[in-house]
Amino acid sequence: MEFLKVEDLKIHFPIRGGLLNRKIDSVRAVDGVSFSIEQGKTYGLVGESGSGKTTTGRAIIGLNNITSGKVFFEGNDLTDNSKKVDVRKDIQMIFQDPYSSLNPKKRVIDIVAEPLRNYERLTKKEERYKVAELLEKVGLSPESILKYPHEFSGGQRQRIGIARAIALKPKLIIADEPVSALDVSVQAQVLNFMKDIQKELNLTYLFISHDLGIVKHMSDEIGIMYKGRYVEEGKTEEIFTNPQHIYTKRLVAAIPDINPQNREKQKIFRQSVQEEFEQSYHDYFDEEGLAYNLRNISNSHSVALPEKG
Amino acid sequence: MKIVETTNAVENLNIENINKSPSGVSIIWREIMRDKLALISLVFLLLVTTLVYGISLFLDLDQIVKIDLFAIHEPPSSDFWLGTDYGGRDVFGQLIIGTRNSLTIGFLVTLMTGLIGVTFGLTAGFFGGHIDNIMMRVLDFFIILPFLMIVIVFVSIVPNYSIISFSLIMTAFLWMGIARLIRSKALQERELDYAQASKTLGTPRWKIMFGQVLPNVSSLIIVTMTLNLAANIGLESGLSFLGFGFPEETPSLGTLLSYARNPQTLENRWWIWMPAAILIFLLMLSVRNVGEALKRATDARQRRG
Repeated sequence: MEFLKVEDLKIHFPIRGGLLNRKIDSVRAVDGVSFSIEQGKTYGLVGESGSGKTTTGRAIIGLNNITSGKVFFEGNDLTDNSKKVDVRKDIQMIFQDPYSSLNPKKRVIDIVAEPLRNYERLTKKEERYKVAELLEKVGLSPESILKYPHEFSGGQRQRIGIARAIALKPKLIIADEPVSALDVSVQAQVLNFMKDIQKELNLTYLFISHDLGIVKHMSDEIGIMYKGRYVEEGKTEEIFTNPQHIYTKRLVAAIPDINPQNREKQKIFRQSVQEEFEQSYHDYFDEEGLAYNLRNISNSHSVALPEKG
Repeated sequence: MKIVETTNAVENLNIENINKSPSGVSIIWREIMRDKLALISLVFLLLVTTLVYGISLFLDLDQIVKIDLFAIHEPPSSDFWLGTDYGGRDVFGQLIIGTRNSLTIGFLVTLMTGLIGVTFGLTAGFFGGHIDNIMMRVLDFFIILPFLMIVIVFVSIVPNYSIISFSLIMTAFLWMGIARLIRSKALQERELDYAQASKTLGTPRWKIMFGQVLPNVSSLIIVTMTLNLAANIGLESGLSFLGFGFPEETPSLGTLLSYARNPQTLENRWWIWMPAAILIFLLMLSVRNVGEALKRATDARQRRG
């Protein structure tokens, strides 16, 4: 039994217009995405803006309606409304924007204790100690439980968001670009901290990001999305050392190299990838510019290539 | 590893004595203290309210509205502090009772419109979609009703015309503005990540609506309700002045004012209408001043304190 399994997930948003606001078309935000995650691992979901990675994450936790497809969490079908298994306790989310994801009118204790109040019966005192402990765990001073979110910096606020997400000891955390709103010096801090609590609490991450450097640092497996479809999926080192799809190749080529001596080499490499992209575009994308279905090229590595190859 | 050894600092923490950051109430208080005009207005309001409600306890309404033909149009004296009107009735007593009535109506109408408007607007805005659509059409229907005409009809058909029935009629036509305002704000707030986050944390929807979204709309509610209060205090006076308010047996500020329609009274008997006019003016101005201070308190950029 897989820990989290997504099967042919489709999320379409209707475009309404014309007479009586009829549905005239739909945006295929996510169009046939399948992947699975093992417990304790980090799965990186990468793609440009609008590629559907955030929508996928939000659909798994139930913030977006799923048009078709299945999501299994520990064998339970989350899309089956008739059974209504309550797994919200086991799946939590870290939001992208630490400024809007904390209620500005609530004190830190109320924010972090919100999940505890929903699922656990604690006395006022127990709750306070628990929240102070959580804050201590994310590296904030426990004395700040009575402060308001606006009294913290972006990085600190994101830690409050993380404290709230781990309060119920969830099994899966969907991290939706958790560091893209933070400045670079704080990013590493938050990421390393996320890795540490992963080990400590045996967490599984679905790590959504557009920053390949960060994903490389965090993930065990990576899926790359483009226009709502998967382009390539595989172990982290497979994706980075042996990218098969032209889109992945371009992404990898775009990672900047810090060593200035390689500057010329990098430039030539990027240009060659660009050339390849222009020449072979139609080998990799269909008439609508979408990726083909995934095909396995090894046990763990699959690429979206046309049937003939 | 630092993360694992949480305990010491937490255990040593004296959890009861942590300094609180200033809450909303203390920010409002600071703002009012900083704005002298608002402070004076607030003191004046509290003073008038307590005086009016206090004194009216000791006044005998029947005594005040009794017609005394020997005391018609008396100027202010030690017997009649503010003189008498054309029926020989004590103006001071009428002023006190009238102010009390106006204030009661103002508070009642503001509270009821606020309650209905906030609940309606919050529900429509928070749930959105079809619910919002239907609720807003109902609201549109109320808006197109001709307010004054219906009030006049009500005044003539309602047999016992009391403060409560007056307030209810007014409420029926005045809750739409605040409902619209709250709805638009709630529509904004529900899309923010914190409302979505609450959903993922397993908080039921009604709890998100009242526990998470409402506090973020609260500043808007406080400000609009205060500014509405200013308008609602004058509401009764306006209608009474036009002749659609309370009958003369129920003293009100509007009735006193309407005596000024008689040119003789307007020119020679200032004591009948002047105090009422000044009182209405001051009351509405003070409530507004306090409201403006509250408005500033809710917006950190405008704050003075």
